[in-house]
Amino acid sequence: MSKSKKTEPGYQQITRRRFVQLSTATTAILMGEAAFPRTSWSADRNILRIRLYSDILNLDPAFIKSKNEDIVNGCTQNKLIAFKPGNKWEWGLQAAEYMKQVSPTRIEFKLKEGIMFSGGFGEMTTEDVKYSYERIADPKTKSPYVSDWSLMEKIEIIDKYKGAIVLSKPFAPLWMTSLPGSSGTIVSKKAMMSVGEKFTTAPPTFSGPYMIKEWKAKQVTVLVQNPAWTGPKPEFKEIQFYPIDDEKTAEIGFEAGDLDFTRISVSSYEMFKTNPVENSNVVNKPSLYYSWLGINAENPVTKDIRVRKAVQMAVDINDVLEAAYFGMAKPATGIIPPGLIGHREKTINPPKANPAGAKKLLAEAGYPDGLDLTLDCLNKTTIITQAQVIQSSLAEAGIRLKVNVHESGQFWVLGSEKEMKEKVKNIQLITNRFSSQPDPYWYTMWFVTEQVGVWNWERFSNAEFDKLHAEAAIEVDPAKRDKMYQRMQDLMEESGCYRFITHESAPTIYRNSIIPAMDPEGVPIVRHFKKA
Amino acid sequence: MTYYLIKRLGVAAITVVLAVSLLYGMIHAVPGDPLSVILGPRATPEMKAELNKRMGLDKPFVIQLGTFFVNVLQGDLGIDVFSEKSVSEIFFGQLPFTVSLIFLAIGWSALLGIPLGCYSAVRRNTLIDKLTGVFSVGTIAIPSFVVALYSLLIFAVWLKWLPAIGAGKEGDFMDRLSHLLLPSFAVGLGWVGYLARLVRASMLEVLGENHIRTARAFGLKESTIVLGYALRLAILPTVALLGVGIGNMLSGAVFAEIVFARPGVGKLIYDSVITRNYPLVMGSVIMTTILFVLFTTVADLISAFLDPRIRENL
Repeated sequence: MSKSKKTEPGYQQITRRRFVQLSTATTAILMGEAAFPRTSWSADRNILRIRLYSDILNLDPAFIKSKNEDIVNGCTQNKLIAFKPGNKWEWGLQAAEYMKQVSPTRIEFKLKEGIMFSGGFGEMTTEDVKYSYERIADPKTKSPYVSDWSLMEKIEIIDKYKGAIVLSKPFAPLWMTSLPGSSGTIVSKKAMMSVGEKFTTAPPTFSGPYMIKEWKAKQVTVLVQNPAWTGPKPEFKEIQFYPIDDEKTAEIGFEAGDLDFTRISVSSYEMFKTNPVENSNVVNKPSLYYSWLGINAENPVTKDIRVRKAVQMAVDINDVLEAAYFGMAKPATGIIPPGLIGHREKTINPPKANPAGAKKLLAEAGYPDGLDLTLDCLNKTTIITQAQVIQSSLAEAGIRLKVNVHESGQFWVLGSEKEMKEKVKNIQLITNRFSSQPDPYWYTMWFVTEQVGVWNWERFSNAEFDKLHAEAAIEVDPAKRDKMYQRMQDLMEESGCYRFITHESAPTIYRNSIIPAMDPEGVPIVRHFKKA
Repeated sequence: MTYYLIKRLGVAAITVVLAVSLLYGMIHAVPGDPLSVILGPRATPEMKAELNKRMGLDKPFVIQLGTFFVNVLQGDLGIDVFSEKSVSEIFFGQLPFTVSLIFLAIGWSALLGIPLGCYSAVRRNTLIDKLTGVFSVGTIAIPSFVVALYSLLIFAVWLKWLPAIGAGKEGDFMDRLSHLLLPSFAVGLGWVGYLARLVRASMLEVLGENHIRTARAFGLKESTIVLGYALRLAILPTVALLGVGIGNMLSGAVFAEIVFARPGVGKLIYDSVITRNYPLVMGSVIMTTILFVLFTTVADLISAFLDPRIRENL
């Protein structure tokens, strides 16, 4: 009987012996792994493992997609000047030997001699600086960062190492954004020509202390020391960047020993502080983000400034921060965070709610029994929590709030006239959150009249604000700029369109086997990382 | 069998075209401006217009769909708008991670679930059968992400036996395997219960049939009856379920890929949808649809191969 079974087509006998063999083999694999744990991923002091919040997509400085690319480029390329690690926004010389502002529209520089591009692309010269910056400024390049260099007339070549940035008008943000930011990265003209002036994740050459060894999509970006680098020898033999978008996953990865440096969630900061992971440190830095509650000036209900002011008064910012940020974030006094020109010391409306005042204003506006409003927000836990606390705050003032939660693709067009047409005026309240660069120009630019229906979803329009924004961009006296930007935030608040929430915070955890280098908002400047 | 094969492949092709057309429509119906998401807030209207044209979004929906299918037939899945790499290169770069995860998950769950179900059926109404029942229902009921989080905490954070994130080093088999164990455990645990319950029910049905009684009357050993006769028939629904299961896991793997920060097709599609990266979404969706249909078709063919009655019923 057994013989006939074996000859029957398609028959595969499952015998007890075969079953035992298979089970034993599987168990052996599992046991083998358990018996030799962590042999292949043990910590190596020469390897630095850092988390990025997303994968790198395009390292071309004209087209970078996120801060992550700038973090990687910071290791592999050079700028004339770069941000210094520390708690103050300051720049220091990088590829430049000196930088001189000889007039409001002329900056002269000299490159350090001997900065080499890998792959035989020669020494960095003024020609490379000219090519790099003018390429971004050229509308034909279609770089989203064209505005970083929009007021640049040309780069003048004086000699191989000396040059001058010539501006058509003074441009104050140049020193804190265009030059030390991603648009200030110098690429090799010769190398760019060799790849048809186009690359994404495989740069043709490197001038920094590290170079890219490999990029595995959604897995890892590995940097090794650049043999063409003539500066001080880098500390680490290898740097591994892991793209992990979920902060909780990154935290577990750190606890498991798979990472050396990662941003953590605000909600976990206290836990890591009180229950520290062995051999690690936690720091909390203020971030450049700003979040606010926007109130539409053109909605039929909220166009009444008394209604808008009532909403401003009714929201308790302290409660919002306690619930959404676990008390880790401070109330914002405007859109410009502490440490930057234009930061205000306090708001016109205090953070604490004034429900009685709000009720009075609503009664004056014709709503003695309160009113119904809607709030649109993004489907992120922190933002939904913000919305829920706002809902509860407003209820005390008699405002019945309906919260509409949106997925990101849907949310980011809510105020766009191009997409939503007249529906943009249906927005009543909206919680929003932007990030920016360390110059106030990039904070106020989204709230000018020109941006109404683009990114100015509150449809706030004020002639004085627009004028100040234009003037402050070309004002080079920091004290005067400071006053101008403070006034602009006063105007925003007085309009009733904004209730500023917070600049959040940026907690970070790292192993004490390393000495990290971070900019004032906790973004790693990896080329300056050292072994402890 | 050849006729059955041709009919089954025809049905598979129609399924792929319908599913992809439906998904194409659904993705385009989701509100959101892909151009703003892709280019960022500082993009000029000219840049947006240029990208709109490059992505073919300026054309009517039917033309877009038609062009997509024509390109797919020519082996062109499109170009990723962010990295400007070919979608097929990106997709096939991620596929091995998902396939290895799925096969290990389904493999270990089948290795455990089928014998458990078998044993339960043979020892019906005993304490072990009842315990197996509770275990099976328990594993089905626990959400996979809970299993993932707790397994991470226990095996990666506390015991530090296994790595928490990533997929391991290329070319290092043991490293790759160690990075697969926890995700495959999390993805596969629920399937142990499913398979055990399914095999138990099938086995009980088959064990009560006449030919099994006859085999017993002939005095065959119980192990021969169970493993040689009963299981062969009882396994048929399981084979079909495994086919669908592998297909389902293609999409279900996304949570494991997020929690364990692993590369893979699920995460790729999720990220692409969020960023409205239409070429990558469509290229990946058509490939996963083809794989899903392929797995279910193979499962059907195996079932038909094992059971001639199925061949006659299509």
